[in-house]
Order: sequence, then structure tokens, then C-alpha cells
Amino acid sequence: MKIKDWLMELSPTAGISGLTGALDTAQRELSRFAAVTRENGSLIGRIKGESDYTILFDAHIDEIGMLVTAVEEGGFVRAAKAGGIDFRTLAAQPVTIWGKKPVPGLFASTPPHLQKDGESEVSDISARLIDTGLSAAEAGALISPGDRITFRQEPAMLLGDAFTGKSLDNRAGVAALLETARLLSAQKKLPCGVTFLFSDQEELGCRGAETAAFALQPDEAVAVDVSFGDSPGLPAHKTGKLGGGGMIGISPTLSRAVTQRLTALAKEQDIPNQPEVMGGATSTNADVIALTGAGIPCGLLSIPLRSMHTTAEVIRLCDVDSAARLLTAYALSGGLKGGSVKC
Amino acid sequence: MLTETLQDLCQLPGVSGHEEKVREYIRLRAGKYGDCQTDRLGNLLVYRKGKKRPAVPLMLDAHMDEVGFIITGVTEEGYLRFAPVGGIDPAVVIARRVVLENGIKGVLASKPVHMMAAAERAKMPEMEDFLIDIGAADRAEAEKYVRPGDTAVFDSGYEPFGDGLIRARAIDDRAGCAVLLEMMEEEPEYDMIYTFTVQEEVGLRGAKTAAFGAAPAAAIVLEATTAADLCGVPEESRVCKVGGGAALSFMDRSTLYDPAYYKAALALGNEKGIACQSKTVVAGGNNAGAIHKSGKGIRTLSVSVPCRYLHSPYCVAALSDIQAVAALAKEAALRIASGAWEAAER
Repeated sequence: MKIKDWLMELSPTAGISGLTGALDTAQRELSRFAAVTRENGSLIGRIKGESDYTILFDAHIDEIGMLVTAVEEGGFVRAAKAGGIDFRTLAAQPVTIWGKKPVPGLFASTPPHLQKDGESEVSDISARLIDTGLSAAEAGALISPGDRITFRQEPAMLLGDAFTGKSLDNRAGVAALLETARLLSAQKKLPCGVTFLFSDQEELGCRGAETAAFALQPDEAVAVDVSFGDSPGLPAHKTGKLGGGGMIGISPTLSRAVTQRLTALAKEQDIPNQPEVMGGATSTNADVIALTGAGIPCGLLSIPLRSMHTTAEVIRLCDVDSAARLLTAYALSGGLKGGSVKC
Repeated sequence: MLTETLQDLCQLPGVSGHEEKVREYIRLRAGKYGDCQTDRLGNLLVYRKGKKRPAVPLMLDAHMDEVGFIITGVTEEGYLRFAPVGGIDPAVVIARRVVLENGIKGVLASKPVHMMAAAERAKMPEMEDFLIDIGAADRAEAEKYVRPGDTAVFDSGYEPFGDGLIRARAIDDRAGCAVLLEMMEEEPEYDMIYTFTVQEEVGLRGAKTAAFGAAPAAAIVLEATTAADLCGVPEESRVCKVGGGAALSFMDRSTLYDPAYYKAALALGNEKGIACQSKTVVAGGNNAGAIHKSGKGIRTLSVSVPCRYLHSPYCVAALSDIQAVAALAKEAALRIASGAWEAAER
């Protein structure tokens, strides 16, 4: 299964803005199906259609991570966060520090033998230490303030098609777009052009998509991201079901026309999907793409994911596949310029 | 090679009460050098003939077990409930990967940071709030693969780290096991009893029956002990230092050590040029707690590998310290068994 192979390779790569591991992998794969360019930290791929009308499919490729702020006594490193890190999950977490060469690091933890009773306060990242196992001199020679730090966790299969790893937010979306590109590139002709955008800096506030969408000027767009999957401690009505298919975003900030067309196509072609209703901003790139230039009709398709922003994220591969099939159907139908959909 | 043995041992799962994979590995190797006996609790006792009979019969001990998780049930949704085995901090459990005895992997599901209020984000959940997600669709699917009583360990490997260090699961106490396995390959001067014990992490239980069975006059406990030598930790709270050599205990929460043995071991380190240091904070405990009060009492020495982040997915230790522990344990064993340290009043 191609999606699994892509995710096995994309999940462990480094993708905090300024590092190119994930981008390089995605570029190698996307270039098999589309004409690719790299601009401003984002990767763009184009497949031409019979008209100039263009649909943009966006998935951010960056991930949450950290930046080095200081190298201290004993070769310990201090860091600032880049993106929404859950400080509760940092202890004993392995990382890679992207210095002059990649340096393995490990967030320090307090062993139980030395803990005082009731010590359950979670300290801020500024109070945390990353152990490098190096002397201060060795660490200082390799590591400088500003160097990027990424989490390290190899991906793995759980039961069935459940897949776990780091940065599935949003390599799951990237894999869905690669599969979409693969399916579309196998077509003799497309009714309209399709542009794939693997955008930078979503985790810092959708910054990459803001400038890329402006540069690309598509006629319409669908942002593809992950969203909250059913999970212990979360009410079912606030989550999508893993295995239930892509979550079609419904929100006042999203194009109702795009949303309805996605829903209708999914029904017509019997592609698993589920609605995700939000009362306002979606906290995805769809928020900024919709406001680009004079405005771009934009929809949102999300892959349900558990334990978001941890190295224990879980998705189901079938949901990535469902999302790709729905996006493919959308492009083949011509998007908003296509004929009406029977359903 | 000590490091290869250690790597092998650190990769074997051996949660307290389920030490069989570790025991089997050790028994296969140790059987070439001595008479192996497994007692009723699962301890492995290896009787190794030396050139001479000891003046003071000596046992050298390391525990085979490690902290981990035991599955207690399955939820309707197919998540696994569990209890920790041994002392584990929820902070190193949240959102971590684990692997069950049968190789099935799981993750500790965690509520997304986006869906928590500030107060919740600043508080570590309780251990009983965690569930393991193995990707099962529901209870029926999970129960095909998992039964209550199955155990799991952190899914983390063994790798070189930094400058001459390693990071791995279960250095506590596979480091001690590896040192003993290497030690017994060479014919000792005096007969030795090596004990590879079970259930240390759940209350020094294996060592109690192992010491009774071995019935020595003296013991050396080889362990991994906590090192808090982190940036910003005051000198007096560091316990011991990674890279500072073998750590010798005068007191911990389970034992007030034989002062003559402790002092003699420090002096021996200096005499032989083996790096050693005192464990300077009274914290933790080890099999010495059970061994020293076994039978009529056993004079006991603890020689430990300083280790950061004990009981977490990645403990950090220096290979030079493990070698120092091996060297000091060997020299101390020779002195004790010869009777040279018996003159010293305790």
C-alpha cells in the first residue's frame, strides 16, 4: 500500500520550518506525478487541465518543534517552542538537535526516587533541559542558538491499519495529497488544473499558506489537515471516528459550495466521510486561504487523528485513502465549475 | 564484549514477574561456566567453581527484572487498562509507545493540548487515567491479542549517546547482569555464587529467597543508581555523577551499609586506580535491603552504575562507569572472598 510507505518515510523526517527533510521526501514523490517547484519554504506541484481554472489542494508539511536558546553547563540545551507543544509529554522524550550535524538529545526527567510526593506540576519548556550526553565544550562546538529541534519517534503499525508516529499532523494530509496526485496523474485529461501545495509554518499560525495562496491565485481550494479523532477523555460529539473517513468541514468560514460538493460527491461515489461542524475559524490553513486576495472559496477535509501534537499520534490508513479518493473525485468533477452532482 | 552483552540484555523485556526471557539469555551463557539453578521464585543462581575455596562465601547479585506495565483489562472501545509495575512517573508514560510481550505495539493515548483549559495543561494526569491504544476497533478485537496479566515495556531501544554514553530502557539493572555475565567467563580465584534475581522493582522480593538459597557470608549488589547531575541541580543533590565512576553506597532507603566494606571499597578503588564515587544522597534502594538481613545477616556492599532518568524509556549511563563497576566488583570480590576485609570491625 503506497500510503503506508509514504507515511513510514514522511513521519520521521524533520519538518519544522527551516529544515527540509520532509520537503525533500515529498518533492521526490510528488515530482513523479506533477511539475514541482519549491518556493518560500513550501513545495508546489502542478498538473495541467483542459482549462485554466485551477483547484488548489493544500496540506501543511511543517510540524511542531523547538529552537535552541542556549547551551549550558554539562552540555545541556535549553529550548523555546515552535508550535503547540504539550509540555506534559516532554520528559524522557528523545529529540534531534539540528546543529552543525544532527545531535541526538533527550529531555531530562526526574526519577521517581527523587520526587517529592504530589509533584505533578508541569513545568514550562523554559525550565526544561535537553541532555546531549556531551560536554559543554563539545555541545557548544556543534549547537548554536536558533538551531532547530525535532522530536524523534519511528513510526509503527498498530492493529489492522492503525498507524502511529510523530508528525502525522500533517504528514497524513501530505500522504493524502500524494495519493490524490498519483490517482489524477493516471487520468488522460483533467477538466481543470490542479495545484498541490505542501505549505510551511502552519503550526506557527498558517503563515506559509497565506503567502503561497496569494502567489498561486487558485480559483478555489480545499485544505487537507488532521482533526480530533475519537479518544479517551474526549466527548464523542467533539470528535470524528477513526476509520469513518475524511471529516468534511462545515463552518461559517468555509465555502458552503465547496462543502456541499464534497459531501455530494462522497455520497454519490460511496466514499466514507463524516461531517465536522465548527462554529467559526477552523484553526487550519482554510482560514487564511479563504481570505487570500479578493477571497478564494475554500473547503476543509480532515483526517481523524488521536493524541494530536504528541509522538503517539494515531491515524487509520483507510481514512487517508478515503480522503484521497474524495479529493480525486472532486478534481475530476471539475470542482465548482463542474456540472451538478447526482446524489 | 560487555557492550554487546548489555545491548542484548537491554532489548529483552523482563517486567517483574516475567523475567523468563532475560533468565533464558543468561542461563544459556552462564551454563558454560557454572552450575545453574532456578529457584521457586524464578531467581537464577549460578555456582561458579574457582581455583580455591573462599574464606568468606560470597554472592554477587544483579536483578533481571525491570519496571513496566501489566494489563488489567480492556474497555468497551478496545483500549487497554493497566497498572504500573514498579515506580514509574506518569510524566514519562504520557503519550509514549509501549510493546506487549507478543510484539503488539500500543501508545498511551493523550488528550490533545488544543482541547484542554490552561489548568489542565499544567497538571500531569494520574496513572489510572491512562489507557493504551493498540489500534483495536473494539473490545472483541483487543481481546484477541491481549489478556489481563500480560505485560508491556516501553518501546525504546539501545543506542550510543553523546560522548561515550548509552541510552536505553532497563539499564537498571541489565548493566549489573551484563557485568556479572562477563565476570564469570574468567575463572575466579575463589568459588563464587552469582544470583540473577527477580522482582526487585516490586519490593526486593527475589533477592530474599535467592540470598536464603545461596546462604553466603557476604554479598556484592551490582545495580544502576540514580544520577541527578543535571545543569542547575546543586552539587549536594546530584547523588552521583555520570562519568564519575562506580557509585558506592553508605546508606539508601533500604540499607545502612556495612561501613567497613564501604570504606574498604573506596580505598580499593583508589589503590587500583578504578574511578569510584560515593552516592551522596540517601535515596532509592536495592536488593541489598533484602540481602543484608537474610538469615543471620550478610555483610553487603553495593556497587552501582550512575544512571540518569531511571525508570523512563531512556536511561543514560556511561560505558566507562559500567567498566569501572566491573573492575571494582571483581577486585572487591577477590578481597572479600579471601577474608582480607574480615579483620575490619563493622
